[in-house]
Amino acid sequence: MANNAMQLPRRRFLKTALSAAGAAVMAPTIIPSSALGLDGNVAPSERLIIGGIGIGNRGLYDLGCFLEQSDIRFAAVCDVKQARRTLVKKMVDDKYGTTLCDMHVDYRELLDRSDIDAVLIATGPNWHCTMSMAAAKAGKDIYCEKPCTKNIEQSLILRDTIKRTGRIFQAGTQRRNLPHFAFACELARTGKLGKMKKVFAHPAGMASMLSGWLPAEEEPKKEEIDWNTYLGPAAYRPFNKALLNGFHFEKGGGFIGAFGAGGVLEWGSHCVDLCQWAMGDCEPPIEYNPPKDGHLIAKYANGTELIFREKEWIPLGSCPVRFEGETGWVEAGDSGKMVLSSPELLAGRTVLEIGGYPATFHVRDFLDCVKSRSQPKTNALAACNAHIACHAANVALYLGRQVKYDNKTNTFIDDEPANRMRSEALREPWRL
Amino acid sequence: MILTQRFARTALVAALLLVAVTSTRAADGFKVSAEKEKEQIAILRSDAPPQDKAIACKKLAIDGSSECVGDLAKLLSDPQLASWSRIALEAIPGTAPDEALRKASESLEGNLLVGVLNSIGVRRDANSIDLLTARLQEKDGEVASAAAVALGRIGNAAAAKTLRASLADSRVNVRSAVAEGCVLCAERWLADGQAADAVALYDEVRKTELPKQRIVEATRGSILARKGDGIPLLLEQLRSNDKKLFELGLYVAREFPGSEIDKSLAAELSTATPERAAFIVQAMADRKETVVVAAVSKAAASGPKPVRLAAIKALSAVGDASSVTPLLETAVDADEDLALAAKATLAELPGDKVNTQIAAMLPNAKGKTYPLLIELVGQRRIEATPALLKAIDSSDKNIRQAALLALGETVSLRNLNVLIAQAIGTKNADDTATAQQALKTASVRMPDREACATELAAALEKAPAASKILLLDILGDVGGEKALKTLSTAAKSNNPQLQDAGSRVLGKWASLDAAPVLLDLAKTGPAAQFRNRALKGYISLARRFAMPDQDRADMCQKAFDLCKDTTEQKLILDVCRIQPSTETLKFAIKLMKVPELKEDATQTTLVVAQKLGAKGINVGEQLSKAGFEKVKVEIVKAEYGAGATQKDVTAIVKKQAVDLPLITLAAEGYNASFGGDPAPNTVKQLKIQYKINGKAGEATFAENALIVLPMPK
Repeated sequence: MANNAMQLPRRRFLKTALSAAGAAVMAPTIIPSSALGLDGNVAPSERLIIGGIGIGNRGLYDLGCFLEQSDIRFAAVCDVKQARRTLVKKMVDDKYGTTLCDMHVDYRELLDRSDIDAVLIATGPNWHCTMSMAAAKAGKDIYCEKPCTKNIEQSLILRDTIKRTGRIFQAGTQRRNLPHFAFACELARTGKLGKMKKVFAHPAGMASMLSGWLPAEEEPKKEEIDWNTYLGPAAYRPFNKALLNGFHFEKGGGFIGAFGAGGVLEWGSHCVDLCQWAMGDCEPPIEYNPPKDGHLIAKYANGTELIFREKEWIPLGSCPVRFEGETGWVEAGDSGKMVLSSPELLAGRTVLEIGGYPATFHVRDFLDCVKSRSQPKTNALAACNAHIACHAANVALYLGRQVKYDNKTNTFIDDEPANRMRSEALREPWRL
Repeated sequence: MILTQRFARTALVAALLLVAVTSTRAADGFKVSAEKEKEQIAILRSDAPPQDKAIACKKLAIDGSSECVGDLAKLLSDPQLASWSRIALEAIPGTAPDEALRKASESLEGNLLVGVLNSIGVRRDANSIDLLTARLQEKDGEVASAAAVALGRIGNAAAAKTLRASLADSRVNVRSAVAEGCVLCAERWLADGQAADAVALYDEVRKTELPKQRIVEATRGSILARKGDGIPLLLEQLRSNDKKLFELGLYVAREFPGSEIDKSLAAELSTATPERAAFIVQAMADRKETVVVAAVSKAAASGPKPVRLAAIKALSAVGDASSVTPLLETAVDADEDLALAAKATLAELPGDKVNTQIAAMLPNAKGKTYPLLIELVGQRRIEATPALLKAIDSSDKNIRQAALLALGETVSLRNLNVLIAQAIGTKNADDTATAQQALKTASVRMPDREACATELAAALEKAPAASKILLLDILGDVGGEKALKTLSTAAKSNNPQLQDAGSRVLGKWASLDAAPVLLDLAKTGPAAQFRNRALKGYISLARRFAMPDQDRADMCQKAFDLCKDTTEQKLILDVCRIQPSTETLKFAIKLMKVPELKEDATQTTLVVAQKLGAKGINVGEQLSKAGFEKVKVEIVKAEYGAGATQKDVTAIVKKQAVDLPLITLAAEGYNASFGGDPAPNTVKQLKIQYKINGKAGEATFAENALIVLPMPK
């Protein structure tokens, strides 16, 4: 199939430096920053003041994307790990040639600061929703890494709280701001592929990522690692250094394998989000089936199928998506390339090929929206809908049977076990 | 389609209510399991360690009933298990969990009490009003705040009465939580149709001395609850000297229902400062269904520059055919920023009528507008071929070249010959490069690439020598069967220049259909350097493209049979490394028998084996057959990291060690295999102390290097 498809990269794509590409694709809804005096020499009073919370591996990458922007000043870092606090401070201070980046252990101190406009939340997923809610209630705009929520209830509360507080929220699903993914979604959304029949998302596996209650180890000094704060809203367990991988800790629902799972949510929060964008930012599917022959099939209210699958992809890189309509299809992945069923779908347009998963454009989109108060590409509503689809798929996965979801009541239909998995109590004293 | 936001009616309530309902009619749906519940209760009542009881709580969240509530309640005072207990208690329907939580609240304090109050709030237990009212007076501000938010979540009249009375609490943090509760109450009332009550409560909060964010939330609620009457309050925010309130105005302006607000926003443009008007224009444009386009167009045409720029940009989303003429005027403005913005918007203006208007204006266009319209025809891909064909005969070079480029974007196959003629024999030498660029653009765009290639191939026969190379290059970009055949013919012709161009283009071919052509050329090509080029192209296809493993191995073998030296043979080993499979492993092992390749093939074999091992494929037997002697490997110690930051990975490496000196990892890369990056942004090493057949050895590996333990001496 792949070999018969039109290999667009060869025929049509321009290879363009990232910076040039950024100039071409960003700022879709706002006036040029130069017109507001926001390029180059931005007056200190006009800069957005940013704080970062939980800056680990991905967070460091995100931080780099923020630091590229001339209209922000990164003022403070908060992390429960001393080594990370120090590393980020050095990175920021080196960038600015100062020693002004503040360090906090308790994120509430950072959120209490009146000078900070927005926060980058890149903790592990255990904290994402709880901390985003706290930030919104503290009047901060939020760029939050994904997965943003641990269950369906958190997804809904995230959506509602962001609206209630009037804050700007951008989920760290940066693929919405990459040209080829955006184009692929546009083709589907605008009917160029005909009536949509199937959309495909790649989960990062469908197995559990356990992070349970491991044997107690000697707890480090609080200054080095604040274990209580690291645990945060997750139910109590004693210190064990194997749990310090925040990327996996309590990822994805909190019930799969008794302690959380992540595969469906890990990539699903990206790929399903794109599928739903392709479907016009629709509501989540209404029916979810357990995996069969490697396919976990969900069905939208209009009959279109959302298919989670790990195999049978054209080799276009990680996090691929595929949209199949009655008259055409498109597939795209992290290589920056896409394959179309027909070159006519391109209609002569040139789509920039940007490989990898750069977040620069996504960060820029967020900052522009912080200023204009417009909605960024992956706003809270879009993130909520994508995450619900992943959580509901996880419920079907856990129960090993079909579940049906009602988008009006946001409950599973006639299914008490499934409904009880919609939410999970937070450890004291945390609340949403 | 953006979904209607139903945030006002929180899903939490609906969900919990429905859960309660479904629990009573579970006979019709999926039930919880009484049997599983018994098993978990037994664990809770046993001497099981806390981790087992924790999991039991978690399972009871799904299968628990009133039967287990008593056992769960006992854990609410246990600092380790209280949170686990509440996971179940929040989920189990019925009144038993509510009663248990209320009772527990009587004796708990500090965080444990806060947790219970939070759970009461989540369950919206209306019978808890009295106890929450009492706790609202608690000295401990965290407890009082938890009680306030819980009351807000319950959201009935009694809860609101208590909260209203506490808006005067002397503690700022408690007052803030009380205000949060009030806003939750008001939101619920609004959803239930009690708009007047909601407005009153929102306004009461707005008048209270509170952190700014609480005021922002109450103001937003108050504006929206007032419906049409909320416009003055919204405009008040847009005029506020407070930045947060101005931002709120911009936010609410986008979500305010109806079309009256659009008129108000349009009117606001004339009185707002330019900086603010620029932001208001953006808010107007985000209301695509009801925006007053005329007001945006007016702002785009004249006034302060920041507002004009914002309005011009906004028209790209909301403008229409009426915007074309004023934008064309701005696009030739002396101000470069305005002109560029207008051009960009003209290229994006939505609607077929815009295209019709531009096409109609083109034949009579003059001055600066003429090349601009031609450019727009190209950018918007408007069918205007007759006018463009006329323009390529213009005496003005800029007009001619703009027209050629526009033809490249719009011309159909029927008129492709016009561009071919221009590209291979233009009247003006100045236009040659532009015409060639246009021909390439048009050719790769053609839906029927075979027909396009046929046109180009026909032109090739008649083209002057210098142009033949160009056409071959374009055929390479077009691709397809006809292009392949034409290039093959050229590569095997008697003309050295065509041989060169043909083999060069074929050597870079980027789809598998070129494989047989390249193999044939590699065997029968007219000159050694072109055969060599074809062979490299053939190997490149094997390296780059997805295909069945056996097909790739066959390609490797066919290529190997044609290789003339070890440099070429090593390219095939690269294929094996990059495309690891059991077939390429077999092939690499086979090449270990070629003396001059033994070292490289051995290395390749190990690399492939490691990659396959990372995918869970057992390669031990193949390696043993290949002559890798079995040895006894003992891992003594393994550390991964940099400098003083070292992670003990002994257990992981031990687990992966087999009876070969090769250690295959469980995932791609050291970080993924060793449970994370122990020293981000630092060059790391893996140090292993080991014994092979009882002899001690030590080795250090650079990050992600192949792990082959040297035989100790």
